[in-house]
Amino acid sequence: MKRSLYLFSLIGVLVGSHGSAHAQVKVVKAVADKVSIDLSGVKTSAGSGEVFRKTLASDLVRSGWFSKAKKGKGTVTLLGTAENRGGALRAEVRVYGSRSQELFLSQVYKGEGTKARLLAHKAADDIVKAIKGVKGIASTHIIMVGTRTQKKELYVCDADGHHLIQLTKDRSVSVKPRWGPKGQKVTYTSYLKGYPDIYLVDIPSGSRTRLSSEPGLNSGAAISPNGKEVALVLSKDGNPELYIKHLASKRLTRITRTKRAAEASPSWSPEGQKMVYVSDQSGKPQLYVVSRNRGRPQRLTSRGVENVAPDWGKKGWIAYACRVGGRYQICIINPNTREIKQITQGNVDFEDPSWAPDGRHIVCSRTEHYRSSVYILDTLGDSPIRLFSHVGDWFSPAWSPN
Amino acid sequence: MRNIHALIIFTICCSLGFTAVGCKKFKVGKKNVESIDGLDGVVIDDLDAFPLDDRIDIDGVSEGESSFDTVYFGYDSAQIQPSERSKIESVAEHLNQNRSGGIAVEGHSDERGSREYNLALGERRALAVRAYLIGLGVDGSRIQTKSMGEEDPVSFGHDEESWGANRRSEFVILY
Repeated sequence: MKRSLYLFSLIGVLVGSHGSAHAQVKVVKAVADKVSIDLSGVKTSAGSGEVFRKTLASDLVRSGWFSKAKKGKGTVTLLGTAENRGGALRAEVRVYGSRSQELFLSQVYKGEGTKARLLAHKAADDIVKAIKGVKGIASTHIIMVGTRTQKKELYVCDADGHHLIQLTKDRSVSVKPRWGPKGQKVTYTSYLKGYPDIYLVDIPSGSRTRLSSEPGLNSGAAISPNGKEVALVLSKDGNPELYIKHLASKRLTRITRTKRAAEASPSWSPEGQKMVYVSDQSGKPQLYVVSRNRGRPQRLTSRGVENVAPDWGKKGWIAYACRVGGRYQICIINPNTREIKQITQGNVDFEDPSWAPDGRHIVCSRTEHYRSSVYILDTLGDSPIRLFSHVGDWFSPAWSPN
Repeated sequence: MRNIHALIIFTICCSLGFTAVGCKKFKVGKKNVESIDGLDGVVIDDLDAFPLDDRIDIDGVSEGESSFDTVYFGYDSAQIQPSERSKIESVAEHLNQNRSGGIAVEGHSDERGSREYNLALGERRALAVRAYLIGLGVDGSRIQTKSMGEEDPVSFGHDEESWGANRRSEFVILY
């Protein structure tokens, strides 16, 4: 009963106040059809071989496309071996249609035993690609802000929550990291030099450069899909506005002119021709879309509720945090049809969504009783999964593009 | 530079029809307080009129905890409330009497909502205070803004009392 009342109020806010037929809220419930996979035929040796098997099984379930079948009952069957010899792991994986005996994948994975999880992630993504024809997420990474040391530092981990690494040791405040299009560079805001500046980290080399240190606010940096520009919010001209900075020439192009409003949180469209961002020019923060060529910004989201922290996914849907019933929930909107789907529910706050490269999953923060942790959501209906349970608050996650 | 700012305020004020309130007798300096009062909202809303000057480097610079009163704001608002004006006026008085050094205006928000949006909101609060100071004759190049968003609260509760205490601008003297 409580739930249905809640849904009613949500629809009232999102549809009623918009005053048009565009916005229709659908709450996702259906769980996607899954392929049952029989994993019982994998022979492993103890140690890294067993780590490989367990990680692979977990990855396949987390991909959202598979369910574990009992022995002999799967639609597809996974056979193979994972053995460690002298510190080296050799895994052989074959995937068959259980009835057709059609061979979908036959692959050998070799590496140091300590890389067992990494090799399993690779195998899982290969299997997802071979069976479903889509990109897997097992080999991807999630970057976020964590307070484990009492300060707000950047951390990165595998998409399954393992292998957590502290990336910065600044003893400062780090805000909202975002990945570049190739998954090697990360931009974020830090008070390393006292003021809020934008930094660019090259993950493979660990090198860091200061990308923007204009007077006032430097925040919200998002590298464009072609990697040549960065969208950012600056207040150097007297008010927070959206700009594009060309990385090679350092040239700045001002995009918004809203003397009475603040802009925040730009995110590029997949082809890089548009940006979605937050502006409070209506009195409350809402989403707007603007052409990179400085056309007139179009308001995307409805009046009356607060809509923030957009992330434009590869499949065209924009994920964002919508304030409904006094709570923040994750919604996705199709910017063309304006169809809206609400992904989360409940008496907690879900914020800062970021799309996985599979266009299906979303990582976000979940705050309950003022403690934040990172959760993975499924837009096709699987239950939210907590990324990990390390001590501290964890928030502002971003999913790597590969 | 100050005269340009005064001219801008003068222009805005005239163009928006505030002629009855101090437009003709507008003066630069602390005596124009009455005029600014009459421009309620105008100076603050047109923050664009005061682009930021080069930064005063605060990395390694000694910061003095100022004795100036904290300026408080309403929810989701960067408007200077009438109750807060005298606090900014006393800062202007100090800066106008001491011609060296500068000040950093820190803008803060409460914990609710998007961290990035709160950074922008905190900056607008700091900029609104800066615009008010400039209107009172302070050279804009002496006033830096620094938004902390929701990242540096002074009150750690989760109720209106704490939120109200955190929606603020603080003054930090830079020597």
